[in-house]
Amino acid sequence: MKKILISTTMLAFAASNAAVAQMTAVGDGEGELSIVAWPGYIERGETDKAFDWVTKFEEATGCKVSIKTANTSDEMVALMNEGGFDLVTASGDASLRLVAGGRVQAVNTDLIPSWSKVDERLQNAPWYTVDGTHYGVPYQWGPNVLMYNTKVFPEAPKSWSVVFEEQTLPDGQSNKGRVQAYDGPIHIADAAQYLMAHKPELGITSPYELNEDQYKAALDLLRQQRELVGRYWHDAFIQIDDFKNEGVVASGSWPFQVGLLAGEGQPVASTIPEEGATGWADTTMLAADAKHPNCAYKWMEHTLSSNLQSDLSVWFGSVPVTPASCTDGSGMQTAEGCTANGLDDFDKIRFWQTPVANCSQGEGACVPYYRWVSDYIGVIGGR
Amino acid sequence: MMPAASQPAPAPGIAERLTALFWRRPGLLLALLLAPPLLWLGIVYVGSLIALLWQSFYSIDPFSGVVVREFTLKTYGELLLPQNYDIILRTVTMAAAVTLASAVLAFPIAFYAARFAKGRWKAVFYLGVMLPLWSSYLVKVYAWKLILAKEGIVTWAANGIGAGSVLDAILSIPVIGGNSLSTSFIGTFIVFVYVWLPYMILPMQASLERVPKSMLEASADLGAGGLRTLWSVTLPLALPGIIAGSIFTFSLTLGDYIIPQIIGNSANFIGMAVYSLQGTAGNIPLAAAFAVIPILIMLVYLAIARRLGAFDAL
Amino acid sequence: MPAAVEFRSVSRHFGAVKAVDSVDLTIAEGSFFAMLGPSGSGKTTCLRLISGFESPTAGEIRIFGEDSGAVPPNRRNVNTVFQDYALFPHMNVRDNVAYGLMVKGVGRAARHAKAEELLALVHLDGFGDRKPAQLSGGQRQRVALARALVNEPKVLLLDEPLGALDLKLREAMQDELKSLQQRLGITFVFVTHDQGEALSMADRVAVFAEGRVAQVGTPGEIYEQPANRFVADFVGSSNVLPPEQTQRFGGPARWASLRPEAIRLERGQGGTVRGRVTGLRYLGAATRVTLDCGGHELAAQIPAGIAVPAVGEEVGLGWQVQSLHLMEKA
Repeated sequence: MKKILISTTMLAFAASNAAVAQMTAVGDGEGELSIVAWPGYIERGETDKAFDWVTKFEEATGCKVSIKTANTSDEMVALMNEGGFDLVTASGDASLRLVAGGRVQAVNTDLIPSWSKVDERLQNAPWYTVDGTHYGVPYQWGPNVLMYNTKVFPEAPKSWSVVFEEQTLPDGQSNKGRVQAYDGPIHIADAAQYLMAHKPELGITSPYELNEDQYKAALDLLRQQRELVGRYWHDAFIQIDDFKNEGVVASGSWPFQVGLLAGEGQPVASTIPEEGATGWADTTMLAADAKHPNCAYKWMEHTLSSNLQSDLSVWFGSVPVTPASCTDGSGMQTAEGCTANGLDDFDKIRFWQTPVANCSQGEGACVPYYRWVSDYIGVIGGR
Repeated sequence: MMPAASQPAPAPGIAERLTALFWRRPGLLLALLLAPPLLWLGIVYVGSLIALLWQSFYSIDPFSGVVVREFTLKTYGELLLPQNYDIILRTVTMAAAVTLASAVLAFPIAFYAARFAKGRWKAVFYLGVMLPLWSSYLVKVYAWKLILAKEGIVTWAANGIGAGSVLDAILSIPVIGGNSLSTSFIGTFIVFVYVWLPYMILPMQASLERVPKSMLEASADLGAGGLRTLWSVTLPLALPGIIAGSIFTFSLTLGDYIIPQIIGNSANFIGMAVYSLQGTAGNIPLAAAFAVIPILIMLVYLAIARRLGAFDAL
Repeated sequence: MPAAVEFRSVSRHFGAVKAVDSVDLTIAEGSFFAMLGPSGSGKTTCLRLISGFESPTAGEIRIFGEDSGAVPPNRRNVNTVFQDYALFPHMNVRDNVAYGLMVKGVGRAARHAKAEELLALVHLDGFGDRKPAQLSGGQRQRVALARALVNEPKVLLLDEPLGALDLKLREAMQDELKSLQQRLGITFVFVTHDQGEALSMADRVAVFAEGRVAQVGTPGEIYEQPANRFVADFVGSSNVLPPEQTQRFGGPARWASLRPEAIRLERGQGGTVRGRVTGLRYLGAATRVTLDCGGHELAAQIPAGIAVPAVGEEVGLGWQVQSLHLMEKA
C-alpha cells in the first residue's frame, strides 16, 4: 500500500537509516540502468530526432537505459514500491513519500562533479533534502501558470482573481463558465496562495500548511470558484481542447499546454500573476535497492550536463536546474526561453508538497492531504 | 534381451487406463476440467472481492493519514458525509436515468429488428448496433466531447435552425444544465446512453425474438389492440432481456469513471471517487467502501428483478 | 339466415405461391366443420383468413353475412385455439382464460368468476393458480379452449388442436370437443391432417389439395363417394382404379375407387379377378393385404377372425357392385 502521508518521526527514522547506505565512490558501469520517468522527460530521439539525450550516454558509459513512464506521482510511488528500478524523476508531492517509505537512498553529491552548477536555490530544497541529506539530484522545474486567451485579455491578467471571483472580463462578458481550475486536491493550495495575498489576516505562511480556519477559508473560496467553472481540467489534452472548443479563456495550467496551443496558432499566452504561483520541481532519486548504482550515478551526472538541461527545457517547457544552460548556448534554450518558462519567477513559486498533519504550525496542526482529497471532491460536487 | 516366456501380458497404456477411469467416474473428469477456472475465479475474483470488503472495514487515521488495520464501521459512516452521499446519489440517479432512457430508446429498435427486419436489413441492424462497439471507447467519448462542445456541432446546428434559444433554455435548467452540453449532466447522460445503448438493444432484441408470434396473435385474437398486446404480452415476455440489458447499462454506468471525467461538470461519480481516493489520497478504506456500494446496489437490483420474475424464463 | 362463414372465390397468394386459390366455401351456423388436407394444402391459411391474420388477395370472406375484409383480428367475433396453444407463460391459468375479458375491461371479480366457470366446463376446476408450464399437454389444450371460449365467439377456430397429444388423449378430446360443440351450439371450424379425426368429429368436411377445395361433403360422402383420385387416396387410402382397370373390374371406362374393406378374398378358383398376395400388415382389428392383380396393385382389408392367406398365395377377389365408386373427375 502506498503510504502517502507521513509523520516526521517516520521521516527521520527513514532518513537516518538510508544515510548509512550512501555510496563513497563511483565504479565501472553495470551495463544497464532502468528509470521511472514522466512521459517526455527522457527522450532518445524517437519522438523527434533533435531531442536525444540517451544515445550518447549509452555510448559513453555502456549503460543501456530502459525507461518506464508514469503519468501521476502516485503511479511513480507505486512503481518504486514494486521495486526493480534504479532511478525515478519524482515531483515534490512524491519525493518525500519515497524518502519516508525508505524507497530511495541518500545521494553523495561529492560523487557528482556537476553538482556545483546546480541552481543554488535548489541545492538544499526541502522536497528532497532531509536533515541536510540529499535524496537525489534536481532535474527540472516549472510553474503552474495562468493561461489566458489573448483576444479576451489584451494585457496579461494581473491577478488570479479572474479564476476565483466573478467579474467582467475585458471583452465585456462575465467570466462565468469561461474559466477552469485543476481537478486535483492540490488546487486547494492555489486557493490558499490567493488568500495569502488577499486575506493576510488568515496568517497563511505556506499554501501546503493550512490549519482548520485557513483551510476552511480556502474551501470557501473554491466553492465560489465552483460557480464559475464549467468543468475542471484533469488531462492536459482535454484542457487544450476546452480552450479551443469550449470557450474557456483563463485557467491555471502548465507551460506544456501553453506551448502546444501557441504552437497551433491559438491566441493564448501565460503569465504568473502578482500573487505568485504554485509549481513543480522534479528530482532524480536513487532507489534504495538500485542494482546499477554506478550507472545511476553516471546518469545523475549526465542529467546535469548543460546541453541536456537546455534541450529538455525547450522540449518540456520547463526550467533547467543549471542556470548556465540558459545562456551558454550548449543546447537550444535561450535566456528569453528560460524567462518565458519561469526562470525569474522562482521566488514567486511555491513548489508542490504533500500536506501533512504535523507542520510548522505544530504537531497535528495542519489539515492532512487525505482530507484535501475528500473535501475537494465535495467542493466540485457542489458542497 | 528378455526371455519371451517371462514377458507379461501387455499392460493397458496410461491413456487407456485414464479413459476407463474417467468413463467410470464422469465426475472426476468434470472436476479436473473445472478446477483450474474455478481456482482462478475463486482466488482472483472472490479473493480480490474479499480483500476489498476487508479493506473497507479498516479506517484511515485522521492524524497521520495512515491506514489503521482494525475493524471499524467508521469508514462506512463516512459515506454518509454530505459530499460522499452526494456522489452515491448522483451516480445512482444517473445510472437509473441512463437505464430508463436506454430501455425506451432500445425498445423500438429491438422490436423492429426482432419482428420485421429480414435478411439484409437484419445484417444492417446488427452492423449498426455493433459498429460503435468496435471503435475505441475513449475515441467515442472524445468525439462526443467535440460534438457537444460549446463551439461544437450541436450548438452550431441548433443556431443554424434557429433553435439556439431552445438549447440555452435546456442548459439553463438548474443542476442538470451547465455552460455547454459537454460540461453539463445532460451531456454526461447523452454520452452514457450512447455508449451503453448496444448493451440494452442486443439482449432486448434476443428476448423479443424468442416471443412466439402465435402469442401475439393469440392476444389479438382475444380482442387486444396493439398497445394492449405490447403491454400485457410482449413486454412481460421480453422482460428477461430488458432486465439483462438494464443490468448492463445500470452497472456499467455505476462503475464508469472516464465519461464523467471528460464530459460533465467534474462532479464526482462513484468510479471517479474510487479512482482518486485509492490513487492520490491513499484512502484505500474509503475507496473500498465506495466500491462496495455498486455491489450492494446491484444485489438489491437483482433481488428486485428476481421478484419481478425476470429470471423465470432462465 | 346467412352462413356463419362464407368464402367467395377467395385467393391468398404469397408471391408466386398460391396458398389458397379461388376457394368457395360455405360453413353453416352451428356446424362442426373440418378442413382436412396434407400440410401445405391451404387449410391453415383458410383458417387464418377467417381469424384475420391473413387477408385475401382476391375474393371476399363473409362472416355472418358481413364482409370481413377491413376488420382486424381483434374486432372479429371469432376466436382461435392455436396449434401450440400460445398460452401466456407469465400468467396463471385463470388470467390466461380471463385475458379476453380483461381486454374488454371486465372487472377482476367478474372475469375471474367467468374464468372459473369455463375451467369447470373443460374439467380443470382448481387449476386456476397454476402456470401453463405446470400443466400437461392435454391440460394446456383445455386451457387454450377455455380461453378461446371466454368471449363467447360465434365461431371457434381450432388449428390442429389435438396434434400434439398422444393417441389415447386425442380420442378422449375428440369426444369432448364434439360434445362441447353440441352443448354450446356454436360453429366450430377445425383444421386437421388426420382424416380419421375429421371423419369422426365433423358434420361437414372440406378436403384441401394444393390451395383448392377438392371436395366438400358429409364424412360419409367424402369417404364413400370421393370426388376424385386425391380424395379417394387421402381419405382412407382407397384403391384408385384408372379407367382401363375399372373396365377390367366390370365397370365403365372411368376412374373409380374401391375401398380395401369392401374387397372379399376367396381362396380357391373363384372371384371377379385373380390376384397374388404380395404382403401382409397386421393392424390388430384387421389385416391389410396387398395384392398383385395382373400388374396392378390393390389393397384389401380382412377383419380379425377371418383366415388370412399366405404371402405368394393366389386368391380370388370379389366385391359388391355398388362398392366400385365411379368418380366424376380424375
